[in-house]
Amino acid sequence: MQKNTRLKRELQMLSTEPPPGISCWQCEGQIDDLRAQIIGCVNTPYEGGLFSVEIKVPERYPFEPPKMRFLTPIYHPNIDNAGRICLDALKLPPKGAWKPSLNISTVLSSIRVLMAEPNPDDPLMADISSEYKYNKQIYLEKAKRWTEKHAIQRNKGLEETEEGTSEGKLGKTKPACRKREALSAEGHQDDSKKACL
Amino acid sequence: MSEGLQLERATDGTLHRVETVGLYLFPCVAMENSDGSEQIGSEQSHVQRRQQVGRLEREEAFFQFVNNLSEEDYRLMRDNNLFGTPGEISEEELLSRLQQVKETSDSEPRHEESGGQEEQEDGYNGDSILDLLNSVRRTGNTTRSGHRGNQSWRAARTEEGEQGAEEPARPHAPVEPEGHEADREMSMETSEVEEVAVVMVPEPEPLRPETPPVISPIRATGGQEAVAQSRTGLGFAPREAAPRSIWTDWTGCPGLAGHAPAGTGGRQLQDSAERPGQAECRGARSPVGRVGAGARRHPAAGGGGPQAADRRLPTITLDLQVRRVRPGEHRQRDSIASRTRSHSQVPSDTVQYESERAGFRRTFSRSERAGIRTYVSTIRIPIRRMADTGLSEATSVALQTVIRQIMTGFGELSSLMDSDSSDSSDSSQGPNLPADATEAPQNPATAATAATGGGPNPEVARTEERSRGTADSREGRAGLRRPVSLEEPGTLPFLRLAHFFLLNDEDEDQPRGLTKEQIDNLSTRSFGGGDALKTCSVCITEYAEGHKLRKLPCSHEYHVHCIDRWLSENSTCPICRRAVLAPTNRESVV
Repeated sequence: MQKNTRLKRELQMLSTEPPPGISCWQCEGQIDDLRAQIIGCVNTPYEGGLFSVEIKVPERYPFEPPKMRFLTPIYHPNIDNAGRICLDALKLPPKGAWKPSLNISTVLSSIRVLMAEPNPDDPLMADISSEYKYNKQIYLEKAKRWTEKHAIQRNKGLEETEEGTSEGKLGKTKPACRKREALSAEGHQDDSKKACL
Repeated sequence: MSEGLQLERATDGTLHRVETVGLYLFPCVAMENSDGSEQIGSEQSHVQRRQQVGRLEREEAFFQFVNNLSEEDYRLMRDNNLFGTPGEISEEELLSRLQQVKETSDSEPRHEESGGQEEQEDGYNGDSILDLLNSVRRTGNTTRSGHRGNQSWRAARTEEGEQGAEEPARPHAPVEPEGHEADREMSMETSEVEEVAVVMVPEPEPLRPETPPVISPIRATGGQEAVAQSRTGLGFAPREAAPRSIWTDWTGCPGLAGHAPAGTGGRQLQDSAERPGQAECRGARSPVGRVGAGARRHPAAGGGGPQAADRRLPTITLDLQVRRVRPGEHRQRDSIASRTRSHSQVPSDTVQYESERAGFRRTFSRSERAGIRTYVSTIRIPIRRMADTGLSEATSVALQTVIRQIMTGFGELSSLMDSDSSDSSDSSQGPNLPADATEAPQNPATAATAATGGGPNPEVARTEERSRGTADSREGRAGLRRPVSLEEPGTLPFLRLAHFFLLNDEDEDQPRGLTKEQIDNLSTRSFGGGDALKTCSVCITEYAEGHKLRKLPCSHEYHVHCIDRWLSENSTCPICRRAVLAPTNRESVV
């Protein structure tokens, strides 16, 4: 019922005091279609990567959790190839833990935490999960490779497409853009490989 | 209140036109505006600002309206899902809705008197139909209301079994729609469904004068009779096959794909254009007491062998739903329901529905809406039932089929819900859906009618609906729970159904929501000026003086209209997750 009002407030909060390592903005003026970028935590195989997350806000929000999905390929036990995230806060009770007092910001934060701390006991990707459990070194390497390949490279491509759209918007994307530029400067590679999506 | 707010705004200077906007909203607006003005052209920002201001005004009006409502009125409106989205519904609209509801309830006091408990339950269903639908679709949960509906349904079913044995096939005589009791109808309907499964003898007798023709279109045509017959004559044998066959058929008929009911009708038409005629011949006399969509379809099936049976099953299902729906609505609303039905009979009515869809919010007040809602509720029931029943029973197969059919029929609804216009809030969607549902049942009938030589109007309406539904369905069904988008209009309903079921299976645990009574038992208060500034964590809006708050046992407070909605589908505090009710009463959820 209060979806729009609430979303506006949340976006406001997201732009004024974004949670660490996270930026979020409206996608092409649609209030219920958001994009977020999560910076991989330091000391994780995702470090240095920028992971785009698609956020769809359902009509019944906040009585229903937002739908989030990784756009950037990520090698993670709880995130599948389609980017779907296995996170209790993204599901309604009794199976999930969504509650209206959560919000997009908190959910994004918990996703970031999930990235740093995978939960192999509730795997979405069984093979990655067992790798994480029993062969962590390999998992780390693979995850790092994926990060380099997709999360760092992709930024270039994303930057071009997203900047055009986000520029005109509420300027909330600016910090993200800057980050992206910095990152892409580091990982100067071709963006020829962004076919993963 | 508004005065103070105005002053504040003026000081701020950001908003020129805001008059009645609540303070709590203000900061947000100001921020956005400033943001927008920086980067976006001034024109755009102007427009945006204007829109926002308008919205804020309406929001404030909404809150005021809600806060000024008496307890009874509030319940009445909430239960009927008349609160739209704050900011999208003007106070006038709310007022008119309230009045309408009041009129409705007043107009049928007799039902209340006689209804007693039953009434309550029924009313319950009807009230939260929208909620139920939503919850069912997305969550697979049964709302409290859903729960009840379920129970009653089962009971009805049991009765049916007995009845069915006693009186095998009974075609309904053509009865006047008015004057039926919801309960009776319910049980009757249910029994009918069962009957269909059981009864093999096609004898068109006027057994149920009580059943009002929900969908009148049938009447006009000979299709009615056919329906009755088909019902009676239906065998179950093909039931299992039915779903599949239906599916195929559907796919085959892109045109019909739009709604399940329509699809069924269409199928029939396609398969055997002459069937309707056949049915008529046989069952010419059977009256169309029940206007169930299924019945209409049946005409074609009546004469057919296995195919016919398949079709019939779906049809039957529809009937159940429809009938069910009615009772669910409220006895009080019976009059409305009947009105709606009668309207629906007329082709022009169909048109009305459509228009309603287009402007669902505004049209909500119309009597048709009530009817629509009813339909929606029906849908729910089948689903639960399915879950509960399991496949073991012979009937269960039939049921499943039925359910599927129903779902198919209402597939459009779900699609509508999902793809609703950007602005529409849930509540506003609700009305739409119901409207669609109504249409869907009608459409099949229409199709049948057309086949039999009915009026052309219905057909047109159907077509429109179809196209619309297809578009909707195609739009955004990304979510798991949402129906899969289909390229073929014909296939849409089925896929959706399948999806639906999958989803439901996933999380069809138990109804988790509280009942209205339970919610109403929680304490409420008005936010006073002396209270410390607090924010409702559901809408992230600060409380303002006069806001109605509800306090949960865990001492957490929320806006009444915020928490009520959550509690209708969940039973825990949104902040601490503590169960709102004592665990003894209901199983604690998470």
